[in-house]
Amino acid sequence: MQSIRSSSTRLLQRNRFSISNTLLRFTSSSSSENELRKLGGGYDPFPSTRAFDSYLISSLTKAVPFSSPLPKQSFMYSSRYFSTVGDSVPRGFPVVSAPDVSPRIKFKRLDKTAKHIMQIVDKEAVEEVRTRREIPEIRPGYIVQLKVEVPENKRRVSIVKGIVIARRNAGLNSTFRIRRLVAGVGVESMFPLYSPNLREIKVLDKKRVRRAKLYYLRDKMNALKKH
Amino acid sequence: MAAVSRGLLSRITQIFPIRSLTLSSSQSLPHSNFFLTQRFSSEITGAPSRIIEAKPVEMSGISKRTGIIAVKCGMTALWDKWGARVPVSILWVDDNIVSQVKTVEKEGIFALQIGCGHKKAKHLTMPELGHFRGQGVDLKRKLREFPVTEDALLPVGTELGVRHFVPGQFVDVTGITRGKGFQGVMKRWKFKGGPASHGCSKAHRKGGSTGQRDDPGKVFKGRKMPGRMGAEQRTVKNVWVYKIDPARNLIWVRGQVPGAEGNFVFIKDAHYKKPDVSKLPFPTYLSPEDEDPSELEPLVADLGEVDPFMLAE
Repeated sequence: MQSIRSSSTRLLQRNRFSISNTLLRFTSSSSSENELRKLGGGYDPFPSTRAFDSYLISSLTKAVPFSSPLPKQSFMYSSRYFSTVGDSVPRGFPVVSAPDVSPRIKFKRLDKTAKHIMQIVDKEAVEEVRTRREIPEIRPGYIVQLKVEVPENKRRVSIVKGIVIARRNAGLNSTFRIRRLVAGVGVESMFPLYSPNLREIKVLDKKRVRRAKLYYLRDKMNALKKH
Repeated sequence: MAAVSRGLLSRITQIFPIRSLTLSSSQSLPHSNFFLTQRFSSEITGAPSRIIEAKPVEMSGISKRTGIIAVKCGMTALWDKWGARVPVSILWVDDNIVSQVKTVEKEGIFALQIGCGHKKAKHLTMPELGHFRGQGVDLKRKLREFPVTEDALLPVGTELGVRHFVPGQFVDVTGITRGKGFQGVMKRWKFKGGPASHGCSKAHRKGGSTGQRDDPGKVFKGRKMPGRMGAEQRTVKNVWVYKIDPARNLIWVRGQVPGAEGNFVFIKDAHYKKPDVSKLPFPTYLSPEDEDPSELEPLVADLGEVDPFMLAE
């Protein structure tokens, strides 16, 4: 039953860390009494930790001097503060500074945890693409020349040159639109910023614009429109 | 104990006529006593006949592995190594553990009850707490049973991880769909509705006729009508596993998965597109002791050496 032992020791560590993390926020002794009452009231699957935790609490409160400018009412919200304050620092494991190992996340609401995980994964994917390829800043109003490799077209590398009229930020799926004149016809194309098919992006010129989306150019730069 | 004696008494009435019922079981004839004890000794003493160990076993064609419980995190899109876009759903496998083993001797089927997530003791009812305490497992948020074959049983407390699945295999994902509320007949049952113009009076999105006239004189049961839609269990089949991250217990699967973000989904091996038996860890992936799970790199599905776009030309 080695697996049970290993899981239980990991959980022991997690319990210890969670208690120590959250206890650092409270400096008064009455909140620690709430802590002990809560521990005593609930069912504890690991009775050995209770002794350790109560010892921890008593040692911490002895070390920290009693100084509470907080009014009495805040202690009633201690259970609420417990969860939200603890959430800003991931409970459980201490924060690891290594960029590729993300800290263990233990929130109460699962959809919040899910969104947090999505954010972390997305940021890491963006970082990975950015370190591998040099992507300059692209804002609306820039004249840009791209070298796009089209896999459907026998992997030919085509050159696209036009003005950026819009940019949509969505993490890894950020896209930008380019408007150009192809054989006398205005053509707009949308490209994902972090796509591996964008071989090279070169910024040629920067025009001064006062908008984020330059859709008015559709009427202005239209060669087909008859005045 | 009362149940055992009740069973004994019922069996005594089956064997002997009713007049011998006046005698208690201890005072019955010596040869019948011996017969009874010989027959029911195993049931009375309750000796466990099955010892389940967690060790790798050869998987046969009719074996069935357990599934795991995950949390749906969201959807995004990635580029595979040939530059094609892959829409993916990210599933987070949060600390799965075997919390109960069901066998034919006691419960009648072979099944594993898997628990996922964490829960505080104050949020669980007393029967649930007793169940966890009796099995010796820490408190889980979601329990679900997966029927398996006899060779795929695992002992209580075995941890299941993301490496139970192999990138490149197909899985079936079950979940509770998003609730859509009270919906009309066009959205709920995909009716065509009525014409938008040409004199159609106030029946653009209605269901139309509901049956015949005097015979049968009623509307048949099961008639598709507006009602509450969604929030029911559905299975999406043959979902391709694209990537696995053992360090963080994440699975990337292609396509959509039922349910909203933050809801539990249950992943099993695909029923129709059965994976290659030799590649799957059976009964589950048992990690060696010296392996540190946080150091492992994510595993991506093998997409082949030939560029699929060049092939098309």
